[in-house]
Amino acid sequence: MTAREALTHPWLTIRVQLALGAIFVAAALPKLSDPPSFAHMIYNYRILPAGLINISSLTMPWVEILCGLALILGIWVRPARWLITLLLVTFMIAISINLLRGNAIDCGCFDVSAAGKTHAERLHDMWFVLIRDAGMLLMCAQLAWSERVRRTEVAHTDREVGPSP
Amino acid sequence: MLKNSFARVVAIIVAALVLAVVSNGFASRQRRLMLPGYYPNALRVPPPERETPPAPQAAPPAGSAPASATDTTASLPPATATAIGNQTPVVVSTATIAPAIPPVKETHVPAATATQPAIAPAPVPAPPAADVLARFTPHPDRAYVEISGADAAALHAKGVLFLDARRTSVYEEGHIAGARPFSVWESDVDEKVNALFNERSDPREQNLPIVIYCSGGACEDSHMLSEKLWGIQFNNIYVYKDGFPDWQKRGGAVKTGGQP
Repeated sequence: MTAREALTHPWLTIRVQLALGAIFVAAALPKLSDPPSFAHMIYNYRILPAGLINISSLTMPWVEILCGLALILGIWVRPARWLITLLLVTFMIAISINLLRGNAIDCGCFDVSAAGKTHAERLHDMWFVLIRDAGMLLMCAQLAWSERVRRTEVAHTDREVGPSP
Repeated sequence: MLKNSFARVVAIIVAALVLAVVSNGFASRQRRLMLPGYYPNALRVPPPERETPPAPQAAPPAGSAPASATDTTASLPPATATAIGNQTPVVVSTATIAPAIPPVKETHVPAATATQPAIAPAPVPAPPAADVLARFTPHPDRAYVEISGADAAALHAKGVLFLDARRTSVYEEGHIAGARPFSVWESDVDEKVNALFNERSDPREQNLPIVIYCSGGACEDSHMLSEKLWGIQFNNIYVYKDGFPDWQKRGGAVKTGGQP
């Protein structure tokens, strides 16, 4: 088995899909249970204008949970994967901007309570969040690659066998 | 295929938006958000947080100059204290100025049952009690003035109103005795602000000092609440910069539960 075959194998793909879905459901639950604390987290990023903070903090957890459930249940996988990729890229840009500004913040990714960390600890955690989000982006890439390979194989088989009657 | 996926992306976002609005409508007051929110400094990046040393146990002699322009822990007359809010008046988004009602005669917060020892006397001679309130004069040009723990303790001893800007759940775990819960992140904050305005509808009462605190450090909730109150003519607001952690270190009176 080549590396390409191993990385796009259905055995791996289904596990990556379930894990990514579970991660996003787990990330959404604390935000759904305490929207004001999540709004506070979004405010701390100092990126969104005031009028968008509350609606974003209310909507984003629902997007996360719907996408997570879609991946777990195997329905609408492609749009869910697109949205998760978009969310991850957005998070990474937001964290990077604040790292460049020296604005140490709690990420609010899986926990929306104020952690009471020091400035240095928060900056350290932000680097960890960037690496973690990059890892999840790789999971999205694996899903996309696997889908592409599968579709290519199906198209190839159709050409060889011809369309079914 | 692409068009179909794009339509599904839009469908997920719309579904999330609908679920968000509906769930917010059914949420309890402490978990509900106002739409839109009121965050005057949403895009202003705060200055890097300093690693603050342990809070001083005593106030420096009255009139001593701060070490720097940003030293907010020095015990100074408010007129010379630093770190002031916006210079332009803040308009409260949803607060409405209700018709004046007879002012409440007793505006001081009743002395609550303390669960910790009373504040230890400062080794440095404190100003005479009569002078304490005289030092905290109205400052209509500024939303707030930051004060030290020693000043907060002096004002607390005089029965000045304290407002706790932290989340109600945190307030219930422990707060300055007599402080009222006024979380800026909860949907009923404007109702509370209006109720306070009605309680202190007389301009003289609006010039009485009010101390607001949160969790100290980088916490800005007290500053946000002070700007709300300043926007409806409360002109004598003090932000206890080091907040509740400092109060606990000082051994100030603390109460738990939902009542002041």
